[in-house]
Amino acid sequence: MNTDPVLADRRIAALAALAIGLQVIEAAIPSPVPGIKPGLANVITLVTLVTLGWRAALAVTLLRVVGASLLLGTLLSPGFWLSLTGALAALAVLAPLLRLHPRHLSALGLAVPAAIAHTLGQFLLAWAVIIPHPQLPLLLPPLLLAGLITGVVTGILTASVLADPRIQRHVRDPSTTQSG
Amino acid sequence: MIRGLRWGDAVVVALATALVTSSFALGYAPGGDSTHLVITQAGVDPRHYPLTENRAIRVEGPAGVTEIEIQPGRARCLRSPGNQGICEAAGWLERPGDMAVSLPNRLTLQVRGARSDFDSMHY
Repeated sequence: MNTDPVLADRRIAALAALAIGLQVIEAAIPSPVPGIKPGLANVITLVTLVTLGWRAALAVTLLRVVGASLLLGTLLSPGFWLSLTGALAALAVLAPLLRLHPRHLSALGLAVPAAIAHTLGQFLLAWAVIIPHPQLPLLLPPLLLAGLITGVVTGILTASVLADPRIQRHVRDPSTTQSG
Repeated sequence: MIRGLRWGDAVVVALATALVTSSFALGYAPGGDSTHLVITQAGVDPRHYPLTENRAIRVEGPAGVTEIEIQPGRARCLRSPGNQGICEAAGWLERPGDMAVSLPNRLTLQVRGARSDFDSMHY
């Protein structure tokens, strides 16, 4: 692994730019149900996590959340805090799971818990702070179902990104290179 | 398809599916049985009747008499002066929150339980 700090910064910047782009594009897609969206930027988070480690993933995530909110004009709005909470909750779950990758878990096994944690983290913030309504948990089951589906989709996308030979050689654990 | 799937993926997806399924089961479980009938009439305090035994209730209103039948766990509007039969058409009120209305007699009948079911969700 290259330890050149300038190169590492450039990689983080490039990945953050990709994630911001994905999030802005996604924001333009109308969602049938408020609160449900594919979360394609999480593909970048997962790729960063697997190739550069969780510190880089945290940096990319924070840059993505702040950068995308600047472009979308939602900085410090409720949507921004929800986005930040969800992203951090997902990372908090991913950090311990990363040790199981790739021996016991593939990208799919990382993406699904990340999506569920993202949903749960957002929901808890929404319920505790933004809309403290006693009936709000009734919204949780469909949101969790959406999290499961989008987690599987982003997991498959991440697996196919990681399978690309140009990405593959950056993946940290050498055991994946045998199958690649 | 995706290569490199691991056994842990199956465990994770199974756990996540179980979480989603149980959240639906917990969140959307039926609200239980109805325990009492609430009769609300214009100008009168709401009256509560337990749904424990068979009982007939007559309520006087501006248009005549509404006859209400109570059986264990349910209640219905048996006869009401409205000429469209809307109150009677509501049928047996069983699920918590079920309601019958007689506009001519300015009254509503609603059965309630420990927890109400919801009709719809919007935000």
